[in-house]
Amino acid sequence: MSTPQSGGNRSSAVSAAKKAAAAAKSTAGANTAAGRTAASKATAKAAAKGGPRRPVTPVKVGQGRNWGPIALFVAVGVIAAMIIGYGAYYVYQGSQSWEDKASSISGLINYRKTRPDLMKSGQHQQGTVTYDMNPPAVGPHNPSWQRCLGDVYAAPIATEHAVHSLEHGAVWITYRPDLSKDQVDKLAAKVRGNDFMLMSPFDGLDKPISLQAWGYQLKVDNANDGRIDEFVRDLRQNATAEPGVACSSGDYVTATGTTPRDMSQAQPPAGTGG
Amino acid sequence: MTTVANDAPPPDTDGAVAVAPSGRRRFGTAWLAAAIVVGLLLGLLAGLLVPSLRTPGDDAPEAGFARDMSLHHAQAVEMAMITYAKAVDPRTRTIAYDIVMAQQNQIGTMQRWLQEWRLSPTGSQPRMAWMTGGAELVQNGLMPGMATTEEIDALRAATGENVDKMFITLMTKHHLGGLHMVDGILAETHRPEVTALATAMKTGQQNEITAMHQIEVDLDK
Repeated sequence: MSTPQSGGNRSSAVSAAKKAAAAAKSTAGANTAAGRTAASKATAKAAAKGGPRRPVTPVKVGQGRNWGPIALFVAVGVIAAMIIGYGAYYVYQGSQSWEDKASSISGLINYRKTRPDLMKSGQHQQGTVTYDMNPPAVGPHNPSWQRCLGDVYAAPIATEHAVHSLEHGAVWITYRPDLSKDQVDKLAAKVRGNDFMLMSPFDGLDKPISLQAWGYQLKVDNANDGRIDEFVRDLRQNATAEPGVACSSGDYVTATGTTPRDMSQAQPPAGTGG
Repeated sequence: MTTVANDAPPPDTDGAVAVAPSGRRRFGTAWLAAAIVVGLLLGLLAGLLVPSLRTPGDDAPEAGFARDMSLHHAQAVEMAMITYAKAVDPRTRTIAYDIVMAQQNQIGTMQRWLQEWRLSPTGSQPRMAWMTGGAELVQNGLMPGMATTEEIDALRAATGENVDKMFITLMTKHHLGGLHMVDGILAETHRPEVTALATAMKTGQQNEITAMHQIEVDLDK
């Protein structure tokens, strides 16, 4: 029981000594002798009042700055600031949504902002659909989607099926039919073997290459453009209007060209057991 | 007890006293405050960073597995859906149904991991790069056991018992490749949710291989 009490006395003695030292410093300025006297007096007085305590060495003021610890503190401070800065950047980067990342792609067309009326998913209609963008990146579409399991279609496909694939989260790469073979091969290498990707030539493009995701579009001149990979990385599957739906099955026939197929009119595939 | 406490004051006394035994001037209050502020900021930063440091990064094996196995599963679902619609043997149709339901569900789980780890479904590494020696296993862009587009088209065009037989051949190969990838991630990861799902895949696919083999034997009788 006596230990906490003596501790309390000690701290009051310490603060008294501190006050005295500070007062001596402010009034006597550089007069170290006075400061020392006042401090030791106060200490002795406080110690006498508060019971036995360790003797305290008197204050010395007016010495030269102690650069060692200052340099150490500055160094630690700078390193800490760098760590904090890097960490904060890392946290900021990690917290960025895919929308934020995509919006930093220069030249990205965001129909979600400009055409919110088209964003409603599940607008299915048979037959030809007229779109006011070229190629369309969002809007009503055929009930059957184009298979997008990394399919590279050599001939133009029906836009009405492809837009449905975009709704499922696919990225559709289109290119001018006159694009050079090595450029086409480079694009195909990004598509082949990757689900939620499809590619086809497209007539009447205003740029050699155009990429579509649901509500997004990017037009580039060259297959080496680094923004192509950025577009795929940020938007493939992320931009889906129907998370969890697949790219498998669907329409994968290109022989019929750009006319959408009406599945309700089509014959069931041979061998379907009812 | 009192005597002991008085004779030997706690060590923090030195820190609380404004003067040091050496007589040197102690660092000022400003320095102490600055140190506390830096300490608090580091603590705050650690708090912010720890969750993201503890989840797999973009190039982590778990992320690669989640992405690649999703694609691998997607093809199994495709083949099983074709087979479910027209296989002759009810057991084949049941296995196909099982594969569709289980693997599409597992795709959902793996995609959810990527969302929780704040990673994109699309990685910056090549397919299978997450697995030791994995890149060499990719042939013509296809991961181990995967069917070619031509094989899928042939399955789609098949009729009668050929559907069952073709499916069993393709899916057995597919499962064996998948098991190879499962072993790859089990060797790399310590995350319980990844280990649990990979182990479930292993058990399920091994059982399906056995069951499919039995159907194949019966069909050949």
